[in-house]
Amino acid sequence: MSRLEARELIIDVPGRRDGRALDLSLEPGQVWGVLGPNGAGKTTLLHTLAGLRAPRRGVVCLDGESLAALPRRRIARALGLIFQERQDGFPATVRETALIGRHPWLSPWQMEGGEDLQLAEAALKRLDVAHLAERLVNTLSGGERQRLAIATVLTQAPDIWLADEPTNHLDLHHQTATMALLTEQARTGRAVMLCLHDLNLAARWCDQVLLLYPDGEMCWGPRDAMLVPSALERLYGQRLVTAEVDGAPVFVPVR
Amino acid sequence: MGVCNKKSALGLFAALLLLAVGLPARAEVCATDDAERRVCLPAPAARIASLSPGATELIYAAGAGDKVVAVVDYSDYPPAAQEVPSLGSHTRIDVERLVALSPTLVIGWVTGNPPDQLKTIEALGIPVFYVEPRSFTDVASAIERLGTLAGSADEAQREASRFRHGMAEIRKRYAGKAPVRVFYQVWDEPLMTINDAHLIGKVLSICGGVNVFGDLERLVPRIGDASVLAADPEAILAGGMGEENRDWLTHWAQYPDLTAVTRDNLFFVPPSLIQRPTPRLLEGSRLFCEKLEDARARR
Amino acid sequence: MHVARYSMAAVGRRGLVFPLGVLALAALAALVLSVAIGSVTVTPAELWRVTLGGGDALSRTLVLELRVPRALSAFATGGLLALAGALMQVLLRNPLADPYVLGLSGGAAVGALAAMLAGLGSLVISGSAFVGALASTLLVFGLAQGTGSWTPARLLLTGVVVASGWGAVVTLMLAVSPAERLPGMLYWLMGDLSYARTPGLPLVLLLGVCLLVFPLGRSLNVLARGALQAVALGVAVRPLEWMIYITASLLTAAAVSTAGSIGFVGLVVPHMLRLVLGNDQRLILPACALAGGTLLMLADTLARTLIAPEQLPVGVITALLGVPTFLYLLYRSR
Repeated sequence: MSRLEARELIIDVPGRRDGRALDLSLEPGQVWGVLGPNGAGKTTLLHTLAGLRAPRRGVVCLDGESLAALPRRRIARALGLIFQERQDGFPATVRETALIGRHPWLSPWQMEGGEDLQLAEAALKRLDVAHLAERLVNTLSGGERQRLAIATVLTQAPDIWLADEPTNHLDLHHQTATMALLTEQARTGRAVMLCLHDLNLAARWCDQVLLLYPDGEMCWGPRDAMLVPSALERLYGQRLVTAEVDGAPVFVPVR
Repeated sequence: MGVCNKKSALGLFAALLLLAVGLPARAEVCATDDAERRVCLPAPAARIASLSPGATELIYAAGAGDKVVAVVDYSDYPPAAQEVPSLGSHTRIDVERLVALSPTLVIGWVTGNPPDQLKTIEALGIPVFYVEPRSFTDVASAIERLGTLAGSADEAQREASRFRHGMAEIRKRYAGKAPVRVFYQVWDEPLMTINDAHLIGKVLSICGGVNVFGDLERLVPRIGDASVLAADPEAILAGGMGEENRDWLTHWAQYPDLTAVTRDNLFFVPPSLIQRPTPRLLEGSRLFCEKLEDARARR
Repeated sequence: MHVARYSMAAVGRRGLVFPLGVLALAALAALVLSVAIGSVTVTPAELWRVTLGGGDALSRTLVLELRVPRALSAFATGGLLALAGALMQVLLRNPLADPYVLGLSGGAAVGALAAMLAGLGSLVISGSAFVGALASTLLVFGLAQGTGSWTPARLLLTGVVVASGWGAVVTLMLAVSPAERLPGMLYWLMGDLSYARTPGLPLVLLLGVCLLVFPLGRSLNVLARGALQAVALGVAVRPLEWMIYITASLLTAAAVSTAGSIGFVGLVVPHMLRLVLGNDQRLILPACALAGGTLLMLADTLARTLIAPEQLPVGVITALLGVPTFLYLLYRSR
């Protein structure tokens, strides 16, 4: 299983001082939740960890090698991304879109084979969008598109998942199903990192948490050490009340 | 299908003609064209394609009108030329149709025909003779050279000398006349005239006219009303497309201070007589000179 | 939209054979048609004899010297333009881009017209058009690059502005050119195949590029979904974009120097094919080469026979066919 490491990493948010450097390793089996208010740099952090953005300082290593030195194809085999925003300039079907996930695994002259197709079909079924396989993506609802994006990464089958707001647009059932899918990935030895807005989802499903402050400060560690009301209240600038339901803490903003 | 039948009939006719004329007539003919190339034919051309309306007139003038098998659009003179099959516009020739008419000589137009099409025609083994007379001497010599290539040298010779003598006579008659400052209008929108290097400019000068725009650099300069007002010509001559267009002349009447207007020296000259470098220039020149004489009389 | 959409992904490599086979047959039929039809009639029987190496001299000249080279030039030019258009559309992630969108035809036109003004020969005119096209490419790219890096939107905007600049230069050149050179210039600007007699080089280029881009097809598919997504899926986006840009520019420059700036083939053909065949570049790119070539062969056959002996510039025909087709497609696609 591949391992992603940030070493003395400072992400490049224009106009912000350096803040604290990140030293963190995504271990197989972990589910990380990244929490922070709007504009704290959650997406920037995720993109930097994926090598899509250059860090201001420090390095991100995949299996001990700097991402900057690795071919994108090698990275794409280990690391899958769910983006918050997607563009679709050209019409494509749901099935074609899921199959795109096989790209890093195929040589230039190779066409998608039956095995790839099976992987894609299984992923579509897992995300409850198999019945839409022939539909054009631009005719889908926001939630359906979100599930398709997850199915595409599932088809890609990376060791490390980096997901930006994976539960966006999803109804309650599909939110839960998605979080279950991601934790299941971690149970089979993969590493998952999620940017989340919903504190309670993080409290319920993540075992590690990273708090990202707007000034570049951050702290990270096991969930129970991180999700303390005082830290969260400072993070969001919002008073919270806490309860425990179904064995997990629940945070509710004070009116 | 019609074209096919016609072609084979013509081919048969040509073959019979060759048989009738017999071998003794076979003799190489050579002439130098206006692109300075020596063009030789194994025998006088029996089938000629003309790629400009001017060349068509010259071939007919050279006494070879019966050998013309193809012309281009606007080949309206002599009237017999209108009966000859057309190859379309001189700017884009239907090469296919040209080839099908199997000409033995093509008369090309240096600045009028697309060079690539002429190259294609030559590549297909059809000799091209370029004609583009730029002076009265060139017109006479073009007639003679075409006569040589078409095997009608005698008739061509006669026509060429008629033209030469006629022009010499005009030149002599008007040599001592008082100069008249002239504006010649080629077109109205945009307003266009000619400079002294243009054949029409040369016609003006042998009539004792002075082209007010003669020194401009371009052969057919585009100008504005203001330039005409500044030049204040004594006479305005207008050509144009059709055979009558008073509109162009009434346009100038709105400027009563123009000398040409105060003296009523606004003349229409049928452009067909002078627009092409052909023997009709003789008649055109006579007409031009008469207009300038009228202008002198109104001083 | 209820267009029966062809899904290649579902059928794999075999999925290429059927649509490309149909298009290849159509191209062959168009070739036969454009060789059989002309302002002078050559009967089918005579055409057959010429094909077998016989026939009379006139038919041989008409077919072998005039029609075949011209039809093949039309095919190559149309194929190059459609291929370049499809590539530009992926590069700019904009289905409405065409090969000229980055000012290529304007640059080529200025080059060609300058050579015509100077009274130079056809070889120089072609060369000058080629140089003009590439110069415009570099200019647009340099300007779009600016101080940072280019984005498709910025590239598009720069291209459109540069193109209108070229347009003004072209108008200026037309205004100052002597009357006898105007027809040639206008024909060039509208696109014209009447002097295209050497299809060899453009055909080789077309085939070569088809083979070159095929292995890149899947990467292009991913790129069409956005640069970030493509990087995340292992595509080296910047080198790929450079490659598309240079290739599409070369293809367009080659087409423009063969036949002037012929419009609409590069825009309409990829668009129509996408509606029917989906957007898998491994299928769309070779399909564009075949369909673009076929379309231009047919258009050129119309151009030289419609009102023969008058010869129309083929660009007029493609525009007259292309505009209503495109508007119809746009209208239907909501």
